[in-house]
Amino acid sequence: MKKLKINKAYFATYFSIAVIICLMLIFTVMEKSFINASNINNLLSDTAPLMIMAAGMTPVILLGSIDLSIGAMCSVSNVLVVSLIMKFKDTIYADWFIMLVTFLTTLLFSVVGGIILGSIHAKLKVPSFIASLAFMSIWNSAALLISSSPISIPKKLWGTIEWYKISIGPLGYPLIIAFLIMIGYYVILTRTPLGRGIYAIGANERAARMSGISVDRIKIAVFAVNGFCAALGAIFLMAKAKSCAPTVGDSFTLMVISAVVLGGTALIGGSGNILNTIMGVFVVSIIKNGMNIVSINVYWQKIVFGLVVLIAIAINTDRSSRSFIVK
Amino acid sequence: MSRKNILFSAENITKSFHGTQALKGVNLEVHEGEVIGLVGENGAGKSTLMKIIIGVQPQTSGEMHLRGQAFQPHDPLEANAQGIGMVYQEQSLITTLSVGQNIFFGHEKDFMRMGVVNWKKMYAEAEKVLSEIGCGDINPRKRVIDLNFATRQMVEIAKVVNVTKEASADGKCLILLDEPTSVLNETEVKRLFQEIRKLTAKGHSVIFVSHRLDEVLEISDRIYVYKDGENAGNMDVADATEAVLYERMVGRETNTEYYHLDKQVIPEKEVVLEAKDLGCRGKFKHVDVRLHKGEILGFCGVVGSGKEEICSVFCGDEKPDFGELFIKGRKVQYSSPYQALNDGIIMIPMERMIEGVVRGLSVEDNIALSNAGKLSKGGMVSRKRVSEQALEWIRKLRIKTSGKEELVIQLSGGNQQKVVFARVLASEADIVILNHPTRGVDVGAKEEIYKLIRDMVAGGKSVILLGDTLDECIGLSNRVLVMRDGLITGELDASVDAKPSQVSIISMMV
Repeated sequence: MKKLKINKAYFATYFSIAVIICLMLIFTVMEKSFINASNINNLLSDTAPLMIMAAGMTPVILLGSIDLSIGAMCSVSNVLVVSLIMKFKDTIYADWFIMLVTFLTTLLFSVVGGIILGSIHAKLKVPSFIASLAFMSIWNSAALLISSSPISIPKKLWGTIEWYKISIGPLGYPLIIAFLIMIGYYVILTRTPLGRGIYAIGANERAARMSGISVDRIKIAVFAVNGFCAALGAIFLMAKAKSCAPTVGDSFTLMVISAVVLGGTALIGGSGNILNTIMGVFVVSIIKNGMNIVSINVYWQKIVFGLVVLIAIAINTDRSSRSFIVK
Repeated sequence: MSRKNILFSAENITKSFHGTQALKGVNLEVHEGEVIGLVGENGAGKSTLMKIIIGVQPQTSGEMHLRGQAFQPHDPLEANAQGIGMVYQEQSLITTLSVGQNIFFGHEKDFMRMGVVNWKKMYAEAEKVLSEIGCGDINPRKRVIDLNFATRQMVEIAKVVNVTKEASADGKCLILLDEPTSVLNETEVKRLFQEIRKLTAKGHSVIFVSHRLDEVLEISDRIYVYKDGENAGNMDVADATEAVLYERMVGRETNTEYYHLDKQVIPEKEVVLEAKDLGCRGKFKHVDVRLHKGEILGFCGVVGSGKEEICSVFCGDEKPDFGELFIKGRKVQYSSPYQALNDGIIMIPMERMIEGVVRGLSVEDNIALSNAGKLSKGGMVSRKRVSEQALEWIRKLRIKTSGKEELVIQLSGGNQQKVVFARVLASEADIVILNHPTRGVDVGAKEEIYKLIRDMVAGGKSVILLGDTLDECIGLSNRVLVMRDGLITGELDASVDAKPSQVSIISMMV
C-alpha cells in the first residue's frame, strides 16, 4: 500500500477542508434546509464581516500579539456609523455623500483607535493581550454611551446601502471585498519588506530589532489595519441589518481568533499563512450558521465556540519545542 | 603526578544518530581528584559523550564503569544518585531566588517543619555545602541576580555537588562542566579555576569541556582531544601546548597568522564615528571615542565595565543620557537600531540565538533580514534576488548548509554565526560593531571569521570589536580602549609590531 504523505505546510488546509465537508454533512443530515440555495447564500454573505476581521487579525497574531478588543471596536464603529448617519440624514447633502462621509469618518476613527492601541503595545511595551483587554472595556462602554439601544436606518436611506445585496454569481459584493482584502494582505505578507518584517518579529522580535527592522512602526501599522478591518466589518453588519446595536461585535472576538487559529496561525507568532485563515473563517461560519439552522440555543452556541477555540489551539500548538513556555 | 584510583572510565563508546556516527569508539578515564580537559572542534563528539555519561541519551555500544562497577544511567537523576553531576552550558539557576533556595531547589521537603520550610536550617545547610566546595564566602541568602557569573557558576556546581554527594559512598563526585567559561570574563574565569582547584583538593573530579585551549591548559591535569568522534590524543598537561592541541584538533598546524596580522591595515584619517562625553546613567560616563575609517577598535573590560552598553548606544538599541554622538560628522540621536542602520551602523549581537538569527526562518531569509528594502522593486521583495544573494554569501563565506532553504536553527553554531555575518555584510552598513563575534564558535570557524573581519576592514568598513578573549581583542585590533567601572581607563596602540601584552591591559581593567 502506498503511504499517504501530507506535506506539513498544507496540513491546515487539508484539515480545514475535511472539517468543512464533515460539518456540512452533519448539518445537512440534521436539517435538510441547511444545504438549500437561500441558506448557502445567507451563509456566504454572513461570512463577509468575519472574513474581513480575520484578515486584520491574522497579521496581529503572526506578530505574536493579539487584539481582544476587535469585537468591541466593531461594536463602537457600528453604532458610530449609524448615529452619524442619523445626525446628518436631514441635512441638504445628497444621501450617498452622507454615507460616504460617515463611512470614512468611522474608518478613520477605527484606524486612530488601532494606532493608539498599537503604540501603547509597541512603545510602552504593554503586553497586547492586556492592553487590548483594557480597550475592550473602553470600546464596549463607548458603544453603549453613543447609543444604548439599537437604531434603525430610516427607509429613505435604504437605497444607499443596497450595494450590500449585489452579487456576482454566488458571491456577494461584501464577500468579494473581503477576499480582495485577504489577497492584498497575502501579497503584503509574502512579498513586501513589511510582511517579511511581520514574520521576523513574530519569530524573534529581539533579533528582528537588532537586524534593523523597524519593529515599533510595523506593529503600529498592523494594529491600525486591524482597527480598519474591524470598522469595515461593522459597516457591513450595519448594511446587512439596516440598523446598529451596541453589542453587535461582542461575539466576534472569539470567532475571529478561532478562525485565525483554525487556519493554522501559531499564537506564539512567526508562522502561518493568511490564505488558510479563509478556511478557518468558513469552518467558524458554517458552525455558526448550522447551529442556527438546527436551532441550537444561543447560549449553547457560545459554549460550542469556547470549545472550538480550545480544540483549535490544542491541535495547532507545537509542543515539541524544548523551549516552549506557556505564560 | 601521583596516579590515584580510577573513578570513572568509558571504553569504546560509539553513538550513531540516524546513520551518522557522532562517536566512533572513544575512551576516557578519570582519576580521583583530577581535572580532565576535553577539547575538540564543534561536532567532535564532546557534548555527545557528556550527554551519555549523564544519562540524557544512551550510547550505541561501549561500556562505562564508575568506581569499578558497570555504570549505565537512564536519566540524569540516576547519574546524580550515583555521584555524577553536570553543569550545563546555559545557566539553569532561577535568578530571582536566593543562592540557598537554588541549591536546594526541589529538595525543600528536607527542611519542612509543620508544613512550612525552615529557612534558617536551609541556609545553614547551604553554607555547609558551599564551604565544602571551598566557597564559604558566598552568602546563601543573596539573590542569584546580584552575583557575578563566576559565582553563579559556583552556585550551580554547589547545587550539583549537593545532589550527587549524598548518594556516592565516599562522597566523591564527578562534575561535568560543559563550556563553563563561555559566559565568563577573564577575572571570573580565574576565580572559577581557583574554585575548581578547591573542589579537586577535596577529592572530587572534574571533566572540563571548553573551546579555549589556554584555559584547558591552565586548569587540566590531563587532556583528551577528540576529532570527528575519535580519540585524537590523550596527554598530561605537561606535554601539551596550544600548538600541539590545535594540531590534534584540526589536523593542521596553527601558525602565527592566526589573526592574519599580515592583513592588518593602517586606518585612514577620516573619523566615521565620534562620541563626545557620552554617558548612560549607572552604566558609563565621560566616554570619548573616535573610530577611523578602516580601523578595528577593540574594547576591553570586565562584564559590567560599560563596554556592552556603549555598543548598545552606538547601534541605536539604547539612548544615551548625556553627551553627543557624531556619525560621519553629523550629530545623531537614535531611538532604534533601524535608524542606526539607515546611517550604516549595525551590530552583530552577543547572544546569537536570542538576538542574532531568527531561528524559524531559512538561511536565505535570515541573510535578507537587514536589507529586504534593497532587494525589492516597486515595494515587492524579489524572491529571485533574495535567493541569489543567499547563494552568493553561502559561497563567499563557505557556509555549510544543505541549501539556502534550510532552517538556520539546523546549522552548527559557527555556520549560524556566518549567516549573521552574511546578513550584516549584505546590509552594506559600513560601521560594524562586533559583540563577541566568535562566542561558542569552534577553532576552525574562528579563523575564518578573523579573516572575514580583516576583509571587511580592507573593504573600507570600520569595526568596533568586543573580543571573546583578550587575546583575540589584541590580535585583531588597531587600537585598544580599556574600560573599568564605566570609564575609559586606557588607550593602547595595537599596530602589527607593537601589540600590547595581556598583562598591561588587565592591569587597567581591574
